[in-house]
Amino acid sequence: MWQVYFKELTELVRDKKTMFFIILLPILVFPVLFGIMGLVVANVAKQAEAEEHRYVIINADKAPELTEALFYHKNFKKVESDLTDAEALKQAIRDNQFDLAIIIADDFSADAANLTQSKWTVIYNMSSQLDMIDKYFNELLRDYSKKLQLAKLDSLGVTAEKVDALLQPVKLDKVNTAESREDLGEKIGGLIAYILIPLCLAGCSYPAIDIGAGEKERGTLETLLICPISRTSIVLGKFLTVLTTGLATALITVTSFGGWGYVIGSLMGVDIVAKTMSTLGVADLLLILMMLIPLSAIFASLLLSLSIYARSFKEAQNYIGPLSMIVFMPLIVALMPGVELTWSMAMLPVANVALAIKELIKGTIDVGMLLAIFGSTVVIAAALLAFCVSWFQKEKVLFR
Amino acid sequence: MIKIDALAKSFAISRGQKLSDSEKQDVRYSKEAFHSVRNVSFDCGSGEVLGLLGPNGAGKTTTLRILSTALQPDSGSVLIEGVDVLKHPVQARKKIGFLSSSTGLYGRLTAYENIAYFARLHGMSEAALKQRIDELFTLLNMHDFANRKADAMSTGMKQKTAIARAVVHSPKVVILDEPTTGLDIMTTQTVLDFIRSLKQQGTPVIFSTHHLDEVASLCDRVVVIDKGISAFSDSFDAFKALSADGDLRQSFMTVINATASNREQN
Repeated sequence: MWQVYFKELTELVRDKKTMFFIILLPILVFPVLFGIMGLVVANVAKQAEAEEHRYVIINADKAPELTEALFYHKNFKKVESDLTDAEALKQAIRDNQFDLAIIIADDFSADAANLTQSKWTVIYNMSSQLDMIDKYFNELLRDYSKKLQLAKLDSLGVTAEKVDALLQPVKLDKVNTAESREDLGEKIGGLIAYILIPLCLAGCSYPAIDIGAGEKERGTLETLLICPISRTSIVLGKFLTVLTTGLATALITVTSFGGWGYVIGSLMGVDIVAKTMSTLGVADLLLILMMLIPLSAIFASLLLSLSIYARSFKEAQNYIGPLSMIVFMPLIVALMPGVELTWSMAMLPVANVALAIKELIKGTIDVGMLLAIFGSTVVIAAALLAFCVSWFQKEKVLFR
Repeated sequence: MIKIDALAKSFAISRGQKLSDSEKQDVRYSKEAFHSVRNVSFDCGSGEVLGLLGPNGAGKTTTLRILSTALQPDSGSVLIEGVDVLKHPVQARKKIGFLSSSTGLYGRLTAYENIAYFARLHGMSEAALKQRIDELFTLLNMHDFANRKADAMSTGMKQKTAIARAVVHSPKVVILDEPTTGLDIMTTQTVLDFIRSLKQQGTPVIFSTHHLDEVASLCDRVVVIDKGISAFSDSFDAFKALSADGDLRQSFMTVINATASNREQN
């Protein structure tokens, strides 16, 4: 068994493709990709924030204070237009003559004695994820409304100290009992599980194809089968190889993300990584690893069974594609907001491990449930491994 | 040395699998199974070379796979030096060396590592395997590319490596499944020389082939398998005598035609 294991590992280590998937991808490519993505997003947001919006204002003289504030806002630029009709303004915005039209009602009066609500209209293209026009204009309008509000209340005889009681009769003081770790765990715990579990699967996939279907395709399987070692030893050797690479991929990735995060964090003064790492104890990390081992064993047995059945690399890849989809489904369920680790969720394979990892990071894991999840995952893994071993004894699988 | 008696092996046909017209005509197909090998018997003594002939799909490869313990027969027996291959497959495997023309090597391992891997699987100690591999490298003139990866080797180098791998554990019998099919003349010569050297050492060799000239130059015994039955099993001279002018092709056709007419009579 160990002969098979060490030989498979040697061979995999020499394979550029495998090394790319297991080491280069998580250490260099992923962080660079994520980095570039982050930069692009930050840049777009910055650009959107700095953009200048051309506006037209109708009946500007009715609300001089707002008009002035708008005029001096760095993100708004006034343009002149003769149009007053809403439809015409809409068309002009579509024709890119300006970006925003504000129509102040004809009957509006800023006079404090006026106690009727006024209806204004703003026209602009709202199909943007980062609606900066909305943000800036609302800020201005809020300040303006506040001033009007106070003036009107004052005219009704409500003095400044009564205003708070009137506008906000109850003020809430919120006290959070969640530790900062729990808060952070809720936010990033699911994400970590979402990264770790597919990585285990990915780390298992390529080697499984290589040492299962690959052996058939190269014509070495027959020779291996007639060696004086049992077929069980052969499968177990191969299984351990796949398991090793799956776990190695996950570990290398986490370490690399941690490392890069630390570097970037310390360079840019963001201490979220340092904070995360400090809240997670060694015991928690080991427990996470403990949960990943049987899960990776499930992946390894499944992938190896499929791969041994396949006649060629291509066929194996065709089988493994749908398998990854099936693995992702429970993972998505586990990530949905509001999904908590309950006993019924603890029975759902893959999802239960994802939730357990999240709870471990939050530091709120129920030990009984953790054991139950670990136990059930081990049982499933053992059953699948037993299947894989018996599968490997079948002539119709080996000699298709 | 090797005695094979009444081997039979069938493969289940999956439901819904359509048989082609030619397959329907093959007597070995029934509704549930394909009886690839129905009744194969032959024996081979020490130092003898046995040539296994037969049309494509006759059951040669299946027979050799049963011999090499890769497949389990439904019935029949295989004895190698008195060891029942079917009852003690692991013990028997130590006595068998197997090679086919399609046998691959692990491309990312060197010639030495490829051979050493199988030597270790055969339970050889590090010292013993080192010495044995060195011996084989000298014998096959392989020292030049001992540390080259199999992916970077020529066909001839690969075949030499495969040969060395097949005999690294000093097997008592060597089984070759169409060892020369698809090889160039130089590489074929390497294989034939290797069979000759085994014969000189007294190791029996069983090999299947389509090349009658190889049979003529090497074989002591000839077995013809047709439709899963060993239709002929005797000495090379008896095989040659089947045709009037000693033409092997004619002898072969005589055997095949005889089984065909037998079937029609039945």
